[in-house]
Amino acid sequence: MNGRGIRWVVLAALMAAPGSLAAQAGSIEARLTARGLPAQLAQEVQRIASDAVAQGVPADPLADKAIEGWAKHVSSERIVSAVRQFAGRMAEAGAAVRAAGLEHPSGNVIAAAAEAMGGGLQPDQIQSVVRAAGTAEEASPALSVATSLTAQGLGVKQAVTIVVEAMQHRRPMSQLLDLPSVARSMHDQGMSPGEIGNRLLPPHGDDAGGPPGDKHDRPPGVPPGPDHPAGPLRP
Amino acid sequence: MTDRRAFGADAHRYLDGEPFGELSVEERAAADRLANLARAFADRLEPVDAALDEAVMAAVRRRGAVPVGHGAWHWVVSSHRVPVRPVWVAALAAAAVLVLWLAPRRPELSRSGAQRVAAAAAPDTVFVRFELVAPEARSVAVAGSFNGWRTDALPMVRGAAGIWSITVPLPIGEHRYEFVVDQTRWVADPTAHSQVDDGFGGRNSVIVVGPKGLVRS
Amino acid sequence: MEPSDGTIVRRVLDGDVEQYRFLVERYREQFGRYALAVVRDRDAAQDAMQEAFIRAFDALATCRNPDRFGAWFFRILANQCRNVVGRRHEAVDLEAVDPAGGERADAAVDRAELAATLETALAQLTPEQREAFVMKHVEGRSYEEMAELLGVGTDALKMRVYRARDMLRELLGGMP
Repeated sequence: MNGRGIRWVVLAALMAAPGSLAAQAGSIEARLTARGLPAQLAQEVQRIASDAVAQGVPADPLADKAIEGWAKHVSSERIVSAVRQFAGRMAEAGAAVRAAGLEHPSGNVIAAAAEAMGGGLQPDQIQSVVRAAGTAEEASPALSVATSLTAQGLGVKQAVTIVVEAMQHRRPMSQLLDLPSVARSMHDQGMSPGEIGNRLLPPHGDDAGGPPGDKHDRPPGVPPGPDHPAGPLRP
Repeated sequence: MTDRRAFGADAHRYLDGEPFGELSVEERAAADRLANLARAFADRLEPVDAALDEAVMAAVRRRGAVPVGHGAWHWVVSSHRVPVRPVWVAALAAAAVLVLWLAPRRPELSRSGAQRVAAAAAPDTVFVRFELVAPEARSVAVAGSFNGWRTDALPMVRGAAGIWSITVPLPIGEHRYEFVVDQTRWVADPTAHSQVDDGFGGRNSVIVVGPKGLVRS
Repeated sequence: MEPSDGTIVRRVLDGDVEQYRFLVERYREQFGRYALAVVRDRDAAQDAMQEAFIRAFDALATCRNPDRFGAWFFRILANQCRNVVGRRHEAVDLEAVDPAGGERADAAVDRAELAATLETALAQLTPEQREAFVMKHVEGRSYEEMAELLGVGTDALKMRVYRARDMLRELLGGMP
């Protein structure tokens, strides 16, 4: 089957599911004009969205991007350019997500993966996060946390490791979602990104071990010192 | 040719309908004149046509129900069951979160995939407080991915020392936004977790909201 | 006795969309004059009000205190009115305004002309001054009421009203 044939099969498969990516595409123009975008711009974005959907890219984030640009009084040309770029990035990110085993990823996951890519995560790193998450519901926030930690200065590899290992150790997503806040809090207390990264890495080795701090190569019998993660607390 | 002439404090009190001290003849005449102008203006205002009600209801009916989810709005708020979370949590809490985070996990506490997903989905929305110091501003609003970038839907309230604020219920997860000052200037939030390229040559502030809200120091 | 704002909002959020009409009627009556006075163009004011009600409906889930729907809605309305006024960019020709010089008594001047005079001058104020003046002198609200609706302290509101009065006095001139 040639490339075009595959595209039609994909499109047909997508259209079969109600609320699917293709269903999203149809209403884009209406959504945009309802928000005040001029007809010509709305149509152009609709065209980009329809093409994107045929490649498995969700349309709603594209509409959101156009609406954002319009709200910010950005020129139509720039809006079109940004929407195209975002669509391209989502296509690439979508491929990574699917390669990690999510066959029918939601728009949210693809958009989160695209943001992650924009934030510096490589496709293979995106795959690692998605694989460790296992489901679309968990992949999306996991990618957001990895992206945020990276942007907060921890470095891509470290951010990805923190998130992947957390999920492999069965941390609840609620804890993962707290990490950017905690990192920010530590930053405000004067810690460097390197220090923050080290503190957020889960302890290695035997998980059934003792209280935190025992993993920091302290000789036995020495109590935890000022670099104990639970303190000292700054006012 | 008009003089730059301001009303004195007594004239203002007079116009406020409050006890006033002394007013010169000219001041009183000028004050009365302004008050009369206002009355004439007010008298000429006819009520807004009641036909407006039906026009609004027609638009409302087309929507079917108050919009939730899908696209620009991501509200998962039920009108009578909004979970209230602490908005500002001290450094103490940040450290506590960290202790929990670093505490080793015992193997028997590991959960099945389905349970993990359920736990992640349970608390839907959290109150998040946005603040901006802008004493010179005449209006400040927050606009972002959680409200379809509408610049007038979340106006902030000015408090002491020119600090504007608003508390908004948000779904957990990532949100992108900026402040809109005086309806024209887009301003970043220095307290956000990070700033990202918005694709238009500018930046968006990003926060990742967990079930505890934003843990701040 | 009519249901409270909070009751109606909760019913609408639960799916009874027709109840929204009670809020529309209530606040059309309460805030209609404000919109007309601030926007000064009848059609534009009605459009602004209609748009405000629709936006309020769309955003209803975000109304943090349904029992104070009125104040929440007022902000949306005030912003809509500002948008409308901002878009129109009228060039006001003050030469055309006859300040009805100091000699003639107000009673002898046509009321409509007086009203038009003020209308034109109001266009020269900043939005905050115009809104505050309208709320004080056209709607006759107390500073406490205004503070409730605008979420601004009474001191700041007094400043706005006083500046508005001073500006209007200067613009309308003709008095010693």
